Amino acid sequence: MQRSLTDAAVGRAVRIVSADVDPDVASWLDAVGLHEGERVIVLRSAAFGGPLHVRTGSGGEFAVGREIAARLEVRDDAEEP
Amino acid sequence: MSAPSCHADPPGVAPRAGAPTIALVGRPNSGKSSLYNRLTGGDARVGNYPGITVDVLEASVELPSGARATIADLPGVYSIEATVTRETDDAVARAFLDRLRAPGAPPFVVVQVIDATRLALGLRLTRELARAKLPLLLALTHEDVLAREGFALDTGALSDAVGVPVVLLSARSRGARPKLLAAADDRLREREVAPASAGFDPAALARRVRTELAASPSAARRRTLTERLDAVLLQPVFGPIAFVSLMALLFAAVFLVADPVSSVLDRIILHTRAWLSDVLGSGAVASFVADGVLAGAGTVLAFMPQIVILTVALELLDPSGYLARGAFLVDRLLRVLGLSGRSFLPLLMGHACAVPAISATRVVRDPRERLTTILVLPLTACAARLPTYALVLAAFFSETSAFFRAAIFVGLYFAGIFASLVASWVLRRTATKGRGLPLVLEMPAYRLPQASVVLRKGWQATRRFARDVGTTIVVVSSVLWVLLSVQMPGAAKAGEEPSIETSIAGVIGRSVEPLTRPAGFDWTIDVGLIGSFGAREVMVATLGVVHGIEGAEDDMTPLADKLREAKRPDGTPVYGARTGLALLAFFVIACQCMSTVAAIRRETSSWRWPAVVLGYTYAVGYAAAVAVYQVSGLFGL
Repeated sequence: MQRSLTDAAVGRAVRIVSADVDPDVASWLDAVGLHEGERVIVLRSAAFGGPLHVRTGSGGEFAVGREIAARLEVRDDAEEP
Repeated sequence: MSAPSCHADPPGVAPRAGAPTIALVGRPNSGKSSLYNRLTGGDARVGNYPGITVDVLEASVELPSGARATIADLPGVYSIEATVTRETDDAVARAFLDRLRAPGAPPFVVVQVIDATRLALGLRLTRELARAKLPLLLALTHEDVLAREGFALDTGALSDAVGVPVVLLSARSRGARPKLLAAADDRLREREVAPASAGFDPAALARRVRTELAASPSAARRRTLTERLDAVLLQPVFGPIAFVSLMALLFAAVFLVADPVSSVLDRIILHTRAWLSDVLGSGAVASFVADGVLAGAGTVLAFMPQIVILTVALELLDPSGYLARGAFLVDRLLRVLGLSGRSFLPLLMGHACAVPAISATRVVRDPRERLTTILVLPLTACAARLPTYALVLAAFFSETSAFFRAAIFVGLYFAGIFASLVASWVLRRTATKGRGLPLVLEMPAYRLPQASVVLRKGWQATRRFARDVGTTIVVVSSVLWVLLSVQMPGAAKAGEEPSIETSIAGVIGRSVEPLTRPAGFDWTIDVGLIGSFGAREVMVATLGVVHGIEGAEDDMTPLADKLREAKRPDGTPVYGARTGLALLAFFVIACQCMSTVAAIRRETSSWRWPAVVLGYTYAVGYAAAVAVYQVSGLFGL
C-alpha cells in the first residue's frame, strides 16, 4: 500500500517510492540520502506535529520536516528489519 | 550573503595562487574540522574570497617532499551537483572547486573526508566528485570509533572499486597528519591522474568493504550508544525539559561569568582613561582618545567574554550532535516564525547579545532562513537593553509603584519577542520570501567534541570579532565623539561658552525636534539618541551631559529629578510618563547598537542588510514611539 512517510508507523520499515518535489530538491534529497528505493524507519516524531526522526538503510539519521515527509511516497518494506 | 535569488550566479571564489591546494571536502559532521585542526595544528586564516560569507579556512603546510601546500577547509556539503539555491554552502563549495581547475591554476587534490561509520552516506558525495573528474583522495575518519564498534574496513577493496587512494585515520591520533599529507603529496605529484569511477552503488559498496569483527559486549554497547542516548534525550517529556534546562544553564553562564569579567575589563579601560588624561591633559585630543577611541575599545572588550562563552558553547553543542537534537525538539515552535529548529540557538543567544548570535546563524543551512534570523535578531531583548530600560524607568517613572515598573519591564521583554515574531512573519513574505531548503536535518552520532578544536574556534571567533566588528565600533565611537564635542560653526553666539547645545549633535537634535515632537521627544532626548546610536547604554550619560549632570550613569537620581522638574515656559512638565513610554517603545525596536550593525555587515558581506536593519528598525521604532505617545495621551497619562 502506498502512502506518505508521515503515515508510516513508528518502528516499521518502509521504502521510498517517489518524491513529489522539484527536480532540484529531489536531487538534493538524493544526495542527502533520502532517495528512491531507500529503506527508512521512523524512529519517533517530535511533539505537536514536529519533524520525524528517521533512520535510513544507509545508516543515516535525519530529522525530516512534515511538509517534505508528506511529499515522500512510501510503501511497506517486505524485508525484515 | 547578497540578495537571495535563485537565478544569481554563485558568489565569486578564487583559491590563492601559487602553492598547490589540498581542498578538504565532506558532509557536515564528517569530522572535517577535527582533521583540519590535526593537519594544520590549529593554524588558520580566513581566506579572503569576495562575496563569500561562509568561511573557507586556510593554512600552509609542508609536505613530505619538502614542497609547501595550502590546505583549504571548505564548508560541509551534501552535494556539488544539486543546488536548490545558489547561496547554500554546497554552491560555495562547488564554485571553489570550479576555480581550482581553472586553466593555469596550480595543481590541487580534493580530499573527501568521510565518517567511516557512515560510509554509505559519504560515498554518495564521492560519486558526484568522481563524476566531476576531480583528482580525488578519500580520507575515512573515526577509525577509533569504527574499531570500538567492532568493525573493520577493507580500504584496498574500496580503493580498487572507486579508483582513488583511500586512507583510514583518526583525527585524534598524531599519526593522521603524516599519513594524509604523504597520500596527498603522492597524489599531487602524479602526472596522469586516472579518473575515479562513479559506477558504484554507495550502499552496496559500503556493505561489501565493511567486515564485522567478533562483537564483544563493549562493541555492542558502543554501537547502540546513540540510540540509547536518544531514547532519553529525545523522550517526549524529559527531552524538552533537559534541553530547556541546558539552555538556561548556558544563559546563566553568560550572565554569571561574562558580567564579572566584563566589569574587570571595564575597570582596566577606566584606569587607562585616567592614566591618559594624566599624560595628555584635558584638551580636545585627550578627550578624543579617551572618550572616543578608548570608549569604543571598551565596548569591544565588554563584548569579548560573551563572545567567547557563546562560541565555545556552540562549538561544544554542534559537533557533539546535541544541537541537531535540540533543533528537532523545538522545530515546531520555530515554524510559527517561518523558521526552523536550527534558528533556535541563535535566537536564544540573541537574548544575551545579538553580536555572537549573528555569527551563530552559520548553523542554519538554508540561506533565506539564515538571513531572516539575522534580520530579526536586533529585536530580541538583549542584556544591554536591560540596564537601559531600568534607567529610563528610574528617570521617567520614579513616582509610579514598583509593581507598575516591574510590569512594564516584563512587558518590554515580551514586546521584543513579539516584535521579532512579527518581523520574521513579514520578512518571510517579503524580503526573504521564496523557496528554501526542505527541513532535512542530519542527526549525527553523538561524539565527544575535541577540546583543541573547540579552543581554536573560540580563539578564532574572538580574533575575528576584534578585527571585523571591533574596528567598526571604534570608528563609530570616534565619529560620535566628534558629533557631540565639536562645535557647529556659527551655532554659538560670540562670547558664549562652547556647550553640547551648540555641538554638531546639538544642532542636529534641534533641527529634527519638529519631527520627533509627535513622539514627545525634545531636542535633548534627540541628542541622547544620537549619542546612544552606537550603544543604547550611553543614552543616560549623554542625557546627563545635556542637562549638566556629571556621572548620571552611576547615580540616576539627580538626572531623574532634573527631568521630572523640567518645565516648559507655560509651567507644564517637559517630560512625563508618556515620554518615557514612547522612549521605551523606541528602544525596544530601534537597532541602537553599532556592534550589531557591524556583525550583520560581516556575516552578510554587504552593507545592504545592515542598512535594511537600520532603516526598518528606526522607521518602526519611530512609528511605535509616536503611536505610544499619542495613544497614551488619549488615556489621559
